[in-house]
Amino acid sequence: MNTNSKETSVLAKQHRAGWFFLLPATILIFVLNFYPMFQAFIISLKKGSPAALQWTTPIFNNYTRMLQDKLFIRSVGNTFLYLLIQVPIMLVLAILLAQLLNNKDLKFRGLFRTMVFLPCATSLVSYALIFKSLFATQGLINSVLVNLGIFKENFNFLGTPWSAKMVIIIALIWRWTGYNMVFYLAGLQNIEYSVYEAAKIDGANGWETFWGITVPLLRPVIVMTFIMSINGTLQLFDESMNLTGGGPANSTITMSHYIYNNSFGQGVGNFGYSSALSFIVFIMVAVLAFINLKVGDKRD
Amino acid sequence: MKKRIVSAIMAGTMVASLAACSPSPEAPATSAETKAAGETKAAAETQAAAETQATEAASEDANTLTVYAWDKNFNIPALKAAEADYQKNVNPDFKLNIVEQSQSSDVENAVTLAGSAGDYSTLPDIVLFQDHYFKKYVTDFPEAWASFEGADINWDDFGAEKLSYSTIDGVHYGMPVDNGTVIFAYRTDLLEQAGYTIDDMKGISWDEWIEIGKKVYDTTGKYLLSMDGDGNDLPYMMLQAEGVSQFKDGDINLSENETFKKIIDVIVRGAKENVIYLANDWSDYTDQTIVGDMVAGVMNGNWIIPTIEQVGDNSGKWEITSMPTLEGNGKEGFASNGGSSLYITSNCQNLELAQDFLGKTFGAGSTETYDAALKNGGVITCSAKAGQSAVYNEGIEYFNNTPVYAEIVKMSANVPVVEQSDYHYPTRTQVAAAIQNIINGADADASIKDAEDQVRFAMQG
Repeated sequence: MNTNSKETSVLAKQHRAGWFFLLPATILIFVLNFYPMFQAFIISLKKGSPAALQWTTPIFNNYTRMLQDKLFIRSVGNTFLYLLIQVPIMLVLAILLAQLLNNKDLKFRGLFRTMVFLPCATSLVSYALIFKSLFATQGLINSVLVNLGIFKENFNFLGTPWSAKMVIIIALIWRWTGYNMVFYLAGLQNIEYSVYEAAKIDGANGWETFWGITVPLLRPVIVMTFIMSINGTLQLFDESMNLTGGGPANSTITMSHYIYNNSFGQGVGNFGYSSALSFIVFIMVAVLAFINLKVGDKRD
Repeated sequence: MKKRIVSAIMAGTMVASLAACSPSPEAPATSAETKAAGETKAAAETQAAAETQATEAASEDANTLTVYAWDKNFNIPALKAAEADYQKNVNPDFKLNIVEQSQSSDVENAVTLAGSAGDYSTLPDIVLFQDHYFKKYVTDFPEAWASFEGADINWDDFGAEKLSYSTIDGVHYGMPVDNGTVIFAYRTDLLEQAGYTIDDMKGISWDEWIEIGKKVYDTTGKYLLSMDGDGNDLPYMMLQAEGVSQFKDGDINLSENETFKKIIDVIVRGAKENVIYLANDWSDYTDQTIVGDMVAGVMNGNWIIPTIEQVGDNSGKWEITSMPTLEGNGKEGFASNGGSSLYITSNCQNLELAQDFLGKTFGAGSTETYDAALKNGGVITCSAKAGQSAVYNEGIEYFNNTPVYAEIVKMSANVPVVEQSDYHYPTRTQVAAAIQNIINGADADASIKDAEDQVRFAMQG
């Protein structure tokens, strides 16, 4: 009896200590994260001048309004186009590169790994500006293609809707493939080499080994990179803003860029509507991440 | 049970924070440390900046005024000129504290922030503000501004069009500094090769202008005009020259606006016939088309002159004239694009001094202020009196020794006043998109209707 109550009090003490250590982070998250999110939701139900916001009537007007907003729908379409084309290409490339660079017999492995990862070290704005000058009408890519005789005359990559989208996708792939590759490399290094040896003894070829061993054992990493890429792409801003400016004719504008335009970009200061848009993006990310977790998690 | 709830809350917290706060560019893991270090540094810097700003906001001293301005090569020299003028002729103890901002939107954001927080005490005494934005900011933040009511200023000296931006319900809020009158500058040597002179470009119709442009392109390979295709100012300027607005009684007016449709048609035809070159963005427009020597003509607010002058080799080959119009037959077009004015904020503790300072320098057509502003910053006035000074009437070598500044001041008196709107810039973006779509083959009427719907949608926000 006596010892029992002592034990519980030790346990209780430990619990208290645990809560005590958690407290600072919890408070910070609440004050810096949840409180602004809550406020943003309140603002998303209002409209008018930032100095005197008024409730909308009906109360969810900003949300229902979105459905009639052609430009927002277009920005959603653009963002999902980037998502559907860029994320699979990028992740497949990343996993292939990781597989290649995980080869124990490869010389200068460290050098190659660094080179593939290096684009991630560049600032988003500066790489966007460099891509912009590369693909400019008088830029390097045009000069090379014209001099090789592939193009007859300079092509306005950033001034043509389909090619502007393509440039953004190429830029994204260049920037983020190495980043995802690093996760796969880390994952691959956690797979015991003996598993591969066993497969070899059983007579499995490279293709079978890849699908039978590498992919299943990498699944948690793949799910994580998927979630991060989806999240990152849905919030894509810098490339749309700096590389194409959303143009030509809004054909490359992303959701975040449109939100920015609604709040700061064009002197409109429509914070209510842009908060509502932000909330929709938030819900989209949450839903997609949830689906991904459900599909990817095969534990039970 | 309790544990389960707690763990569920924690898991929820993590997922939510993952979804909500992780920014699109995830920092690479390896550089996390350096990034964190950078962030602390940046935070320290912003804090330091905030502290200095607090001391800089609205001066308490009876002889000092604080002003926000953003261009050390353009409007800041003008303010310095006014300070020297006021010190010399009115109050030797006067001091103007000019706080340089990196760009005009910094000033707009400062007002937005102060207004959203409901605390205007962070604002300086005077701000330089873009004309097109001002009305929107008075509507949104009426308490941020002080007017010129009660000050003795001869407003008739300024062009009516310029004042229309800063006058609300008959009350003057702004003191004009610069002048956005549109000039059409041509390369006379290239025109000559195609068989024309600068006088042939005056008072013509846009149709005639396109024909000339085709010949210029065929003989010299240069476009007669270029513009930023994304922030396309051509429709606004060309429409204003006709005395027509994109707005009517506060509403957008495009699809039923025949003049507007004709203007769009001119731009589309010009772009298709290699007469007008639409650049991808602003830097393309200035760096590639103008400084890169792709064009035989430039049409924009006269603040574009320093950009033209960057090509030293072409000195003496340029001359300016008015814009063509739809009608032609000697009818010249005048318009205005861009420009800014000085506004007194409600936080100014010394309103009389601020009114007196602005009234006796910029407001009195003071030759000392405006001559120095022109010489040191290239700021052209829209004060008729200041435009008569000797400095304004000197021939400018770059423009074939013609007195372009005096001419611009004269032109500014002819600019028609058209209805302005808070939605000037959203409209510009939508119309630019419509033009690009039409050039790419979309139906003109449908594209214009689409742009109109988009702007109306934004207006209903």
